[in-house]
Order: sequence, then C-alpha cells, then structure tokens
Amino acid sequence: MGAAPKEIETAAQSMPRRRFLAWLSGASLVGSSLAAMFSTYVFMKPRATYGQPNRFRIGRPEDFPSGVRVAIDTKRVCIVRDGAKLAAISTTCTHLGCIVAPSETGFQCPCHGSQFDVDGNVTGGPAPKPLAWFQVSLTPSGELEVDKDSEIQTGTYLNV
Amino acid sequence: MSDENNSIVKTLANLPKNVWKSIFRNPLPSSDRGRASTSFSNFFLHIQPVRVSRQTLRPMYTMGLGLISFFLFVILAVTGILLMFYYVPSTTQAYDRMLDLRSSVAFGISLRNMHRWAAHAMVAVVFLHMCRVFLTGAYKTPREFNWLIGVTLFILTLFSSFTGYLLPWDQLAFWAITVGTSIAGYAPFVGKSLRFLLLGDATVGQEALLRFYVLHVVVLPAILTIVVALHFWRIRKDGGLAKPEEATVAPTPVPVTVTLEEPVLVAAGAAMVAADTAPRRFTIQGLVRGPFVKVGKLEEDTVFSWPTLLIAELVVLLITVIGVMAVSIFFNAPLEHPVNLMHPPNPAKAPWYFLGLQEQVSYSAFWGGVGIPALELLLLVLVPYIDRGKAGVGRWFARERVWANTLFLTFVFINVVLIVIGTFFRGANWSFVSPF
Repeated sequence: MGAAPKEIETAAQSMPRRRFLAWLSGASLVGSSLAAMFSTYVFMKPRATYGQPNRFRIGRPEDFPSGVRVAIDTKRVCIVRDGAKLAAISTTCTHLGCIVAPSETGFQCPCHGSQFDVDGNVTGGPAPKPLAWFQVSLTPSGELEVDKDSEIQTGTYLNV
Repeated sequence: MSDENNSIVKTLANLPKNVWKSIFRNPLPSSDRGRASTSFSNFFLHIQPVRVSRQTLRPMYTMGLGLISFFLFVILAVTGILLMFYYVPSTTQAYDRMLDLRSSVAFGISLRNMHRWAAHAMVAVVFLHMCRVFLTGAYKTPREFNWLIGVTLFILTLFSSFTGYLLPWDQLAFWAITVGTSIAGYAPFVGKSLRFLLLGDATVGQEALLRFYVLHVVVLPAILTIVVALHFWRIRKDGGLAKPEEATVAPTPVPVTVTLEEPVLVAAGAAMVAADTAPRRFTIQGLVRGPFVKVGKLEEDTVFSWPTLLIAELVVLLITVIGVMAVSIFFNAPLEHPVNLMHPPNPAKAPWYFLGLQEQVSYSAFWGGVGIPALELLLLVLVPYIDRGKAGVGRWFARERVWANTLFLTFVFINVVLIVIGTFFRGANWSFVSPF
C-alpha cells in the first residue's frame, strides 16, 4: 500500500501552504487597509489652500511714520516703525491663535490673558513663545512686502 | 379555477385585512405567548428581550439616562436633516441662512432651538449616563467592552457638538473653534498637522466650515449610528443591564426533557415538526453557554417587554421630547454678530463643555489642553480593566465600591468646578471676575 503514506504526505504539505496563503491574504488585507488610510490622509491634506497668501504688500514706507505701531488685523501682523527701522510682528497669539491687540505696554491677548512687551516677548500669561517677527523687504516698485513664511529673529529691523 | 374565495368582491373586501395581516403577523397580544412572539417577530421590537428584569425597569436605577441620550440623538437627527434643507456651508451665506431661519422659514426658530438645546443636553446626559454606569458598578465583567464603546460614544458626542458649533458662522462660533482647534495643535508631533487637516487651512475659514459641515452631517452621525447599534447589541449579549449578584450566575447546562401536549412548530436543528396530534417527546440537543441564555431557569423577577418595557420607553421619549420643546419655546439659541476677524470677543470662550479644558489651558497649554485630558481619557478607558472587583454591581453607591466611587466623584467634581469657573468666573483677558 504505497498510496496511503503518499496521501498523508500531501496533507502534511498542504497545511503550511494553507497557512501561508492565509497569512498572505491577511497581510494583503492589512496592506490595502494601510494604503487606503494613507490615501485618505493624502486626499484630506490640501495641496493648495484657498486662504490668504502668506506674502503680501502693505504699502509704501511713507505710510508708516516714525513711532507708529499699527496692527493690520486682516493680515495678522503689526507694523512698527522707529526712525528708519521697520518691522512686522505677528499678532497671532502663540498660545491658542487668538489675535492680540497692541496696548500701551506691548500686546495683550483677549482669550487667556497673555501679555507681551513691545518686542513681542512674553511678560505674562500662558503664552509659551514670543510673538514671531516676519521678514519685511522693499520691492523694486518701492512697496513693502511681508513674508509670513520666513520668521526672523526678534529685533531684526529693515532700514528704510 | 373559480374558487368562492377568489371572487372579486370578496378579494376586494378582504384586501385591507390581508394587507394588514401580511405586515403584522401577530394580533395584539392577549396571552403570554402572544406577548413573547410580538417581541421577537417585529423588527423594531426584536432589539429588546422578550422578558426584562424588574430591576432594569426601576426608574431610580437607570434614571433612563441612556435612553434619553438615544432619544436626543434621534431628535438631533430629525431636526438636523430638516435644517440641512435651508443651510449653506459657505462663509458668505451661512450667517444669512441663520437669520432666514429666524425670519422667513416656517418653524425655523423652533427647529434651530431644538437642535441647539438637544445638542447641549446630549453632551450633558451622555456624561450623566456614564456617571450612572460608574456609580452602579455596571462596567464590570462581562460589560468591560461596552464601557469602552460608551466612552467612544461620549467622545463622538463631544466632537459632533463641537463641529456643529462652527456652522452658524457667528462670532461665538468662529472664536470658539479658533480656540478649540488650537488646543488640538498642542498635541506632540501630530498636533500641527492634525489641526491643518481638520481646518484644511492655517486658520479657520471656508475650508474649515466645509470640513466641519461634512463631519457634522455625514461622517460623525454615521459612525455614531453604528457605534450606538453596537452599544445596544452588547447590552443584550452581556445579559441586559447590570443586576446585583443574580446576573453573575451562569445557568448550568442540564439536558431537559419536555412533553408537549398540543401540536407545535419547533425549529430544532433541521427538524421541523408540523401539525401532529399525538403527544411527542423532544430532547434539547445542545445548549449555548453564556449569561444570555436562560434554560430551565425562568427568572421570577422579570416581566414581559410588551407592554411594560415599551410603555416605560414611551414615557421617557415623551419626557425628552416635551423637555426639549419646552426649553426651545422659552429660550432662543444664541446668535451673535457675524464673524469679524478684526474684533475677537473678549474673553473668547470655547463651548461650555470645553471651558474646563480652556481653564486648564490658561495655566499650561500643553498639560491643560493635551496632557491631562489624554491621561483622564486613558484612565476612563482602562477603568473596567483596572477595577476587577466583583462586588457591588447593580447598586448605587455600593459600600464595597466606596474607594472607586470617591475617586470617580472627585474627578467629576474637579471637572465640573473647572467648567463653572471657566463659564462664570472668567471675564476680559481671562481675568477672575465675580458673576454676582
């Protein structure tokens, strides 16, 4: 009876194959789920936003006389000028994103009471970081351009 | 074949009756057997058990909180779908549509009021339901996983309410969401991208409004519906609501022999025994183990679901609907000025259920907004796996559970106090003010 052992042998061999196929199916299922999740993430993360551009022009240097501290709330920056020195300080609170308002002592946040000095350094409240300073440059046409994508060190002015 | 029964007149005369009988297989029950078969032959009733423990029906045991949560969800779905017919998720139109609801849409005010107040109520009632389950020790074996599902439902409820908060596009909405999403931004590593993903932009704007709308009207309700169904199903499979001692006794599988006197239809395995006048003997071939099968042990302390449970549920439904309507008649849902980026309100406050968080955040952004809430959530999730004691199930404030209950009540108390401080004691610049 040579057939019987052969049969057993096939059965013994087929088990690892079945297990392998089951493992393969499971792995492809997990793989496709991960791929689907990743695709959803890529889809949900916008490549282009419809909001305001981060580089914008704010006018000519003459519009900002010395000693001025004017907040442009729509752009969320405050333009400060002291003599020839000009800078753009963020008015977005580093705590929870509220818009800070210029006050006599610097900046004041209405949401959780964070306080900043005139340079945007934290003087009170829960804000963890000083207000950001943004790169300001003079375009060839003589207008000032703020770039909110490039943060610069506190106290770096543009001389105009 | 012109049978007498098939004459046109007779067919027409019997039409209503035949249609009725094809839909409702059971006449209104007058016997116990009828009551039982009504329960399991009706799709909407078969979700409930045929018999229900008296303990479950005691109003002061459950206070109907789970059921009220569910009914509030139903009210929210109905009013929400109706509001969708008039709402446009656009920054230029959303606010005007709110005004239209007030002025030119029939029942517009009532629907918005009901939706708003039911949403607030749902957050509160779901939380109270969780407190009830904890204080009666109802999360213990075998109900650990259902507690987990419940915590998930609580989070989903909060998130649904939060996404709905933005939709009126008024000052209240805009700044609450600005503050709320910034808290999410503090999560380590993923915070910033999570916030960007949620808002679809760097700040709250058109993209955020659209995303919140889709989440609010499709994604979250769909998930909620599925998880609610799972929650209900688990209640049945875990042996109904938690009961003292009795619930933990598993039935011993004993083969039972019954002799039936009258002809019956029995589905036992594949064997169908049809009309047969001779007495027959049946043997139960197998039993399923588990707390949900009670064979050879009829619980004395139970009543039929039809009509007792149904009447109780109907009463809770009526109370819920009347309550929401009454509040909606006397109080209008708030609507502030349209969004004005230049004038953040001072103080800007998140929705009330997040004001405890906001209060914590005013001390430390990371710990208050992310660290402590995450820890609290983790503890909440792990409660049934940490507290493995079996004593004190199904009773309010059981003596055996005094430590667990005290800890839980402390946790509740601290959070309520934080919310009260954030709501009433915080004024301009988040400075401490007295509301009196």
